[in-house]
Amino acid sequence: MIADPRAPLVDAPPRFAALAELARLLAETPWALSVAHRVGWQAAGLTDEDILQAVILASYFGHLNRIADAVAVPLDYDVRLVPPHADPTTAPLAPAPAVVIGVPVLALASRTATHDALAAWAAHVFAAPHAPAIRARVARLLGMPAEDVALDPEIGAFVDQLTLAPWQLGDASYTALRARGLDDAALFSLAMIASTAGMLSRIEVALTALGTTPSR
Amino acid sequence: MPLAITAYPESTGVLRGIYDKMRERPLPPAYRPAHGGAPGIVTAHSLDPLAIPKVFGTSTSLNGSGPLAWPERELVNAITSRLNQCFY
Repeated sequence: MIADPRAPLVDAPPRFAALAELARLLAETPWALSVAHRVGWQAAGLTDEDILQAVILASYFGHLNRIADAVAVPLDYDVRLVPPHADPTTAPLAPAPAVVIGVPVLALASRTATHDALAAWAAHVFAAPHAPAIRARVARLLGMPAEDVALDPEIGAFVDQLTLAPWQLGDASYTALRARGLDDAALFSLAMIASTAGMLSRIEVALTALGTTPSR
Repeated sequence: MPLAITAYPESTGVLRGIYDKMRERPLPPAYRPAHGGAPGIVTAHSLDPLAIPKVFGTSTSLNGSGPLAWPERELVNAITSRLNQCFY
């Protein structure tokens, strides 16, 4: 799985295979989910409550991944198997080709503690400057309806990279913004807004797309 | 130059207090770093100390209970990290 995360899980229980597919689609194309995925995962033994937790968990880990890459956090422990290095030449994820129309078919609020924790988190992060414009930009990248709010082009480029190609984050990601006087706290605030917005949009677009029927 | 990370030994004030509270959380031994300080993913948020309890409070609500079993949650986390090419 580490060598090829898209390979089928051989001899794995159906629930594991379904969760592996769910995690992959959440990371790469959450806007392309449909009712057929929900039906398939249910047939594999996942309940709607399982699916909801997995959707939120995958989106939450997408945040942790992006922040870890944004600050280049070192490993906590020695490893026996040296992990592969991120390949910065990997193409960025595709932005959503269209807005996903509909309403979430699973309710985030049914996990009360998670819902409340996410709301408190969002209230803290989105109080910062640029938050409305960054949230709108990220929402559109992930297929959620949002107004086209003007955003500084260099901030926009950073937001796009963090959202669609976090493996390319590095010192060069900050050069232009640092040259304009942004300090580390301001840069980290931009990363937190974009990553938090991505997590929340990923959850919302997935829970909405799971109720859609592809037209083609 | 990467963004600043403040590790536990260098932390002071509000950040130190938050790190200490994070260390008091019930956590399976497998998740406790051998270096004894705050986990790297927590220190990764050190430029915004007040975000730490909010981000990891969410983790507690997601990773601390089901209905998914622990191995199932780890499967989702591992595949997500691999596809995002995050090897932390």
